[in-house]
Amino acid sequence: MSLRKRVDPSAEPDREASGLGQPGDFAQRLASVLRRWLSKVARFVVQWGPSIGLLLLIWELIVRSGTVSRRLFPSPRDTFEAGLSLLEAGVLFTDFRFSLTRSVVGFVLGGIAGVLAGLLTGRLKPVEFILSPMILLFRPIPAIALVPVATVWFGIGERAKYFVIAYSVFLAVWLNVHAGASSVSETHLRVARSLGASRTRTFREVVVPAAAPDIVNGLRYGSAVAFIVLIAAELAGARAGMGYRIQISAEFLQTDRIFFGLVQLGVLGAILDALFVFTSRRIIHWGER
Amino acid sequence: MIDGPEVREAQPPASGTRGRIAIEGLEVVYEGRRGRNQALTSTDAVFEAGSFNALVGPTGCGKSTLLNVIGGFVAPTVGQVLLDGKPTLTPGPDRGVVFQSYALMPWFTASGNIEFALKSQGIPRAERKARAAEALGNVGLAGREALYPSELSGGMQQRVAIARTLAVNPTVLLMDEPFGALDAQTRMTMQQFLLDLWEADKLTVVFVTHDVDEALVLADRVFVMTSSPGKIETVIEVSTDRPRSAEDYGDDHVELRRQVIKLLKH
Repeated sequence: MSLRKRVDPSAEPDREASGLGQPGDFAQRLASVLRRWLSKVARFVVQWGPSIGLLLLIWELIVRSGTVSRRLFPSPRDTFEAGLSLLEAGVLFTDFRFSLTRSVVGFVLGGIAGVLAGLLTGRLKPVEFILSPMILLFRPIPAIALVPVATVWFGIGERAKYFVIAYSVFLAVWLNVHAGASSVSETHLRVARSLGASRTRTFREVVVPAAAPDIVNGLRYGSAVAFIVLIAAELAGARAGMGYRIQISAEFLQTDRIFFGLVQLGVLGAILDALFVFTSRRIIHWGER
Repeated sequence: MIDGPEVREAQPPASGTRGRIAIEGLEVVYEGRRGRNQALTSTDAVFEAGSFNALVGPTGCGKSTLLNVIGGFVAPTVGQVLLDGKPTLTPGPDRGVVFQSYALMPWFTASGNIEFALKSQGIPRAERKARAAEALGNVGLAGREALYPSELSGGMQQRVAIARTLAVNPTVLLMDEPFGALDAQTRMTMQQFLLDLWEADKLTVVFVTHDVDEALVLADRVFVMTSSPGKIETVIEVSTDRPRSAEDYGDDHVELRRQVIKLLKH
């Protein structure tokens, strides 16, 4: 190949715009960072404010209308105060730590297994042939139904929780990764073959990136599953944790604490999901087929 | 790349005359759920080393099938395709393939796509960056190394794809409607680009298209194919002088065009 072409000078990136200048304009840069940060906060408030505000308003109005007993349906303020009392009692962070550890351990174990299994069953026909029917049989069994078995096997200790969470995450992740890996573009695979790429290189640099959007989607779904199953497992027996706290509060009819537990779960789940989307968009810029 | 079982017919020809494709009694039948589908009936043809060949014909005439057998993606049911005496049973870097859909990996930059080809050929890391930049320069994309395919126009993406294919030094260039997705203006620019590229390199090109004008402007020989069952109907020699311009048709263009269209009609 020996076609000579002129270099396009307009392709040179604009270095002026990157804002690297003298130390004198530090204040200016700080101001611009602050401004950008403030505008993000403003956007967040605009996006979430009206919806959450309306929710709180309706909640408060229901309580004030007196149609339901405040004992059974505490106000937003009661709920907030219940949270403070849990904080003062020193159990808020203990519960959080226990729950977080369980879900993270379960999620990591199940996630790794799910990604590996999905890539294998998605790309290797013999593995798919053997594994798929098994997995499809296991899939309809609700994770909650496994809690008693896990308790018999592992007691009510941490390992029972890890097991149930990891198992549920595995199934969720596997399904998504399998779909992604088995639908890698035939043309891309042909390109790799005709360029002489080895099977391992093709797997690493074509199959895995092509499946990456589905891997991320699977993990995102898996993280939600981990959260749900965590609470189910804790309700069935634990000595600490956010689900355990809800269970215990119910026994003492502390509905304000139950409400606080529910709000806590909602907020944490939403933050978790937002973090997932935020980081995955940064890593994977392709996809969205 | 692992070579398939080899049947050497003759000594490998001297370099410069490499890239002769011989199609011998080739038949391709797809066994589908709805029975047999004869994609190509007994076909014989030769694409001479260093020649520019176009395959034209309607959908279902087997032109892509023929290209896929040469590429090693589809196995012959009967007969064989020989590249310099060797059957083309598996894909290999000696036959560069360019697809209509560009087929760039969206997770690699323009440079990364070419580096992938170089890596696959075992080119050491230290050389890859520079060679990829050179390859992009050769297709008029200097300075665009760090852009992702989604940041490039269709014509630019196809240039990257061509540069990627050429980076592994093929003897044959197989092109499956490579400019089919481009607008008329860009298509003409790309035709000129390909003519210049071919003028400099003289690879054997097999170019599938359904655009009769495109075939006549580019090729030395136009293989007119007809469908059900797919076969090569006629071969038309285009003797227009080279180097050619994609903007000017040869003197006998109108006459040749009339002939081809007539063949395609019946």
